[in-house]
Amino acid sequence: MQQVLGEFIAALRQAGVAVSPVETLDALHAMQMVGVADRARLKLALGLVLAKSRQHKDLYGQLFEQYFRALGSGEDNAGGDRPEQLPAADAAGGDIAAIASPLGQLLLRDDTAGLSLAIADAARREGVRDIQVFTQKSRYSYAVLQRLGMDGLNRELNQLRGQTPGVAQQHVLALLQRRRQRLIDRVRDHVEQQYLLFAEQQGQRLQDDALQQIKLTHIDIQHYRRMTRLVQKAAKLLASQHGRRRKQARRGLLDVRKTIAANAAFDGVQFHTRWKSVRIDRPKLVAICDVSGSVSRVARFLLLFLYSLQDVLPRVRSFVFTSVLTEVTDCFRSRDVQAAVAEVLRQWGNMSTDYGRALTDLQAQLLGDIDRKTTVMMLGDARNNHGDGNVAVWQQVYRRSRRVIWLNPESRASWDSGDSIISQYAPYCSQLEPCNSLRDLTRILSRLLKYS
Amino acid sequence: MIIRHQEKVCSPQRLREGFEALGYICSDAIATAMYLACQLQKPILVEGPPGVGKTELAKKIAEYLAAPLIRLQCYEGLDEVKALYEWKYGKQLLYTQVLKDQLGDVLRGARGLEESVKRLHQFGDIFYSQAFLEARPLLQTLQAENGAILLVDEIDKADQEFEAFLLELLSDYQVSIPEIGTIKAKSAPIVLLTSNNTRELGDALKRRCLHLYIPFPEPALEDRIIAAQVPQIDRQLREQLIHFVDQLRGMALKKAPAISETIDWARALLLLNVESLDRPWVQGTLNLLLKYQEDIEVVEPELKRLLGP
Repeated sequence: MQQVLGEFIAALRQAGVAVSPVETLDALHAMQMVGVADRARLKLALGLVLAKSRQHKDLYGQLFEQYFRALGSGEDNAGGDRPEQLPAADAAGGDIAAIASPLGQLLLRDDTAGLSLAIADAARREGVRDIQVFTQKSRYSYAVLQRLGMDGLNRELNQLRGQTPGVAQQHVLALLQRRRQRLIDRVRDHVEQQYLLFAEQQGQRLQDDALQQIKLTHIDIQHYRRMTRLVQKAAKLLASQHGRRRKQARRGLLDVRKTIAANAAFDGVQFHTRWKSVRIDRPKLVAICDVSGSVSRVARFLLLFLYSLQDVLPRVRSFVFTSVLTEVTDCFRSRDVQAAVAEVLRQWGNMSTDYGRALTDLQAQLLGDIDRKTTVMMLGDARNNHGDGNVAVWQQVYRRSRRVIWLNPESRASWDSGDSIISQYAPYCSQLEPCNSLRDLTRILSRLLKYS
Repeated sequence: MIIRHQEKVCSPQRLREGFEALGYICSDAIATAMYLACQLQKPILVEGPPGVGKTELAKKIAEYLAAPLIRLQCYEGLDEVKALYEWKYGKQLLYTQVLKDQLGDVLRGARGLEESVKRLHQFGDIFYSQAFLEARPLLQTLQAENGAILLVDEIDKADQEFEAFLLELLSDYQVSIPEIGTIKAKSAPIVLLTSNNTRELGDALKRRCLHLYIPFPEPALEDRIIAAQVPQIDRQLREQLIHFVDQLRGMALKKAPAISETIDWARALLLLNVESLDRPWVQGTLNLLLKYQEDIEVVEPELKRLLGP
């Protein structure tokens, strides 16, 4: 039973439920306490120990059913096939002796429980649990069948076929062949179940990892949905890591006013000291995103990220521009992510860029709101179609704000090539970085949240 | 914890029946959780929307096991001074004043600072001993002779620092006080933590606890709860009421009505001598069920459909 539980926990981990060794031990104890006879109760008890959030509880529920159905499948089959008895066992008695291999005996007796055990055992020995990709399924099925002793069985069947056939023997032969075929099916099913339990999630995780690193410009539209999920996950993680307002103690600086107040109760005798501390404020963030033709492929993801960011951080204002600068904070707030991004791209996307005009707008609309607590984040490639960049405004933004971060979706090599004028803005950025993948985005923003 | 009546917690079924006798109708999940918490001596973290009986569960288990219930309400800024212990400063001050003369006797004849300090040292840390220690809920729990039920209410409201501070208590039932040393529980308490999930709790905390999620109850279960809490109410009205509340929970509301609200509503309807749910009555008492004006505005136009033919 211990092993069954161990495998179940391995499957849980594959599915993304982090189960620690302590919890494994707890699960074992819990299982001993409630017993295994009452499946509903066992499910409740293990759920208490193994799944510790609502999402995990849902996942756990699904997996529990899946896993223990896979285990119990032997017994389920047993009922249906019973009628197919070995006919006239006595009559064929002499010839059945030819079937001597353990597997043959099992098939002959139609011992479903025994077969289940044998399959599970063989699968374990062959390490089916380590299956990683679906192409390995047939190889593992073959290996398990070999381990079960399929060769021996085939030999015996051939032998039986070679002998002078009587009616009873023919019957036995046909029966055995049918059961052999069913055995093969069951082994395949078993491997399939193991694959679903242990590998499918892993494949998805591999894909997720790849998506994190892949250049945003190269992501196919079919991965968009998955990407949405990933981006939201990343944004949520960022928010939960930095959502708390932290205090940083400045050791060595006594806060006299607070100290006196704290000790008023003790007649002015200074029992407690109060030290000065600084609250690290969450940043007031103004995000400006270029959605023009040149960055159209990336813009989708930048918007996605912007949306998620606004979802999880309290003070974010979002703007987009191609030539005219428009605030989209409300649009993001009122729609769901797909609709909002589509709307923004439809309305303002894919025109030719004019940074000069956008910055003039910025000067009119926004500059007054930028103060020493504001972080300004620009997402764009600074490809200005050879127009005037209006750098003076950007300089003002830089002077007024706390810091200016410019994320450029192009790699450094192509900066300043063609109509890119990034180097004109570069002096007025606290930080200027290429931002090519989801991983870059998370890294940069995590730093933004930590130190601003 | 020393459970005086072991047979009371010998099976989930037994616990469930015991709770029922006390008027707390619970699901199988809750009974199993309490059973495991008692048997494995593990703290139990209870999550769920407000008003589904998380705090009530602690009260009932205390009543059922006839053990003292010690409650610690969490809030932002709660620290160990308020949760664990405090020195009785006033008493310390008073004693030093009173004992001033005694000190003269003790130190008489001592030559030099070094010898004086040496003599003082013979008396140990008198002023930092158990006698001057003010026990707060957590310490009270550890000092309880026969164990106690500790309810740490709304742990999600406390700061992360406090959550980290609880870890030692939860895993080993002990705390470390710098001046005295480690204090171990005389007998392991049963600890319940509740959370409304206003923030995600740390993994370290979750790892040390059993995790019980109490959802809104199924209609059948809620029916039994109302029957137990408001026994005078007419069966037909009760079914109507539960069906109505169940429908409300399906709607997109800011705060869906929980069991406590259903009970309040049932009591109100009983007081008002209502015989069957109709629109005017519901409209008049809807503010008992829904706590936000926006929610009431959402529900009101739907009343006709909700109340059915």
